[in-house]
Amino acid sequence: LRIVALAAALTALASAQNFTQRGFLDLTGIGYPQVTQNDSGQFVGEGLFRYEAFYKLGTDFRFSGGIDARADTHQQTESGFHFSFRDREERRPDFAVRRLSAGYSHGKLTLEVGKQLISWGKVDFVRPTDRFAPQDQINFVTPDSLAVTAARATYGTQGDNIDVIYAPWLTPNRDPLINQRWSPLQGGVPVQELPPSIPGGAQLGVRWNHIRDNEYSLSYYQGHDFLPLFSVTPDPLHGGIFVQRFYPQLRMLGADAAAPFHWATFKGEAAYFKSSDVRSDQYLLYVLQLERQSGDWDFTGGYVGEIVTVQRDVPMFSPLRGLARAFVGKVSYTIDTNRSVSFEAAVRQNGQGVRLKPEYTQAFGQHWRATLGMAWISGSPSDFIGQYHQNRYVTLSLRYSF
Amino acid sequence: MSSKRLALTLIAGTLAAGTLAAEDARQIMEESQRRTRATSERYEGNLEVISPNTKVSQKSWIYLRTGSFGNSKSVIRFTTPAEVKGVALLIFNHPDRSSDQWMWTPAVSRDRRIALQDRSGRFFGTDFSFEDLEERDVDQFDYEMAGEEVIAGAPCWRINSRPHLNRMSQYTLSRVWVRKDNYVPVQYENFIKDKLARRLARSNLEKVQDIWTPRLLEMTDLRRNSKTVLRLVKLEYNIPLKEESFTLQGLRRED
Repeated sequence: LRIVALAAALTALASAQNFTQRGFLDLTGIGYPQVTQNDSGQFVGEGLFRYEAFYKLGTDFRFSGGIDARADTHQQTESGFHFSFRDREERRPDFAVRRLSAGYSHGKLTLEVGKQLISWGKVDFVRPTDRFAPQDQINFVTPDSLAVTAARATYGTQGDNIDVIYAPWLTPNRDPLINQRWSPLQGGVPVQELPPSIPGGAQLGVRWNHIRDNEYSLSYYQGHDFLPLFSVTPDPLHGGIFVQRFYPQLRMLGADAAAPFHWATFKGEAAYFKSSDVRSDQYLLYVLQLERQSGDWDFTGGYVGEIVTVQRDVPMFSPLRGLARAFVGKVSYTIDTNRSVSFEAAVRQNGQGVRLKPEYTQAFGQHWRATLGMAWISGSPSDFIGQYHQNRYVTLSLRYSF
Repeated sequence: MSSKRLALTLIAGTLAAGTLAAEDARQIMEESQRRTRATSERYEGNLEVISPNTKVSQKSWIYLRTGSFGNSKSVIRFTTPAEVKGVALLIFNHPDRSSDQWMWTPAVSRDRRIALQDRSGRFFGTDFSFEDLEERDVDQFDYEMAGEEVIAGAPCWRINSRPHLNRMSQYTLSRVWVRKDNYVPVQYENFIKDKLARRLARSNLEKVQDIWTPRLLEMTDLRRNSKTVLRLVKLEYNIPLKEESFTLQGLRRED
């Protein structure tokens, strides 16, 4: 009811010529055929209402705002009225500021200050250089990008520009809950989670971007990783363990490129990660990808590779590195203007993890879309993909966009 | 006159006539282009996509262009349906080669270059391919007069055009019908390997700011048997537009 009332109130606001808005109400049902050791729930219902509005003042200034309202049946969302700005909650906040920023542009300069979505990198499956793009990954069925609070300045032309980002605080990834089926810590040992240790301090990123016949970028990041490591200590009282998420200091040097060839487009992205934290690995993560569109078909395929230069063996939750040493691909076909099907696969090169995701989606009229999908996961419990072999699922979502 | 000299004279005459016809065809296309030259353009496009099973879906976009043939930049930004609102295509047209194109998806704040070999793909479920949204600059094609025909009651020249080698195109041949009275191309037939692939009919001609402009475009994909009808409303030429709107940063700003 709160969601519907909010939708009605906000929709009524739009009238001015410099004012634009968009949003959606999304209802998703997820069915899991199997229970897991720490989660007996086999059906999860989720609702998300998103509203975004934009206002242009003159030709140079622009203001953006957006909110999310959420609810679900599986205690993944905070209960009680709570408006989140920093997105640091363990669970999804029931109300959150999706974005809130002011922008100024003049000539070659674009400035944006506030909570905003930032995307770096060129490849599709995992983007090693995308350091200001934490995700809501409380489950892997309905992941979503999280905005970060930052000041962003872009200066230059279409051909060459430099992007400087300063984020005064870290926005961490929203990870699976320890007591639910997507938890990365499973194994029958009682786990007590301590409040996460989120570091203070700012994050800084610089990216030089060159676009001609080919495109390439160089990027540098200094701050903290938005993906956590786990500090594990024994809990002698209950015979289990205490775990605490922490976010190690991180420096990244990255590059990405796209080169169109006659038969396909090649995209590559690589980043080397170094940390002053002795508990953190040092490694190179890279993605090589080919993509091709032919008529109504879209093909994208590639390989995610990793070279670890210093290994620490500290437990982590990293969907980024979790896809390393794997072949990834996606094929989609547009049946007609309203319908499409796709098939996505990730196969670990050692065969210890496989995830296959077919999906069918259909639009109805101007506002409605239904999407039916499933995921078949198999593999070894020690593999990042394979550990979720009991989380095969079927999902149906219905979205009303406005 | 000896028979040898007569033969040579005939061959030379035929070649000269062919060259003249080619020049005429090119001159017609140049004149057609000259008459539609404007420093900028803006319109709102209402589209109906009619699939083979006669299902109709509606979309709309805003089109902005700065510059003119060969050196123009344009942005197409969807306004409906709601789920693609804000999705935009940025096109840089070049005088000597195919255009550069980028797609902007605001929901994920991502841009993606549309590679040359992918330009034959349909643009967001319409019957326009990405290539069809480029500007056809007269200098990028060879022309040949192919005859005269009447289209919708108007006498037209029928001209064959073939892309130069430096312009990568899915089409091997385009037939263009240009009206004799106002030099407006009213129909295109685009062939892929000698097979008719798409037909574009341009009608409802109106003079807008002294430029004859078709307000109704019907693109038929003959391989799929589907059709997209585009109606141009609120059309304006020579309006002030900011150059920086036609960049990837500009797309992001207008999110």
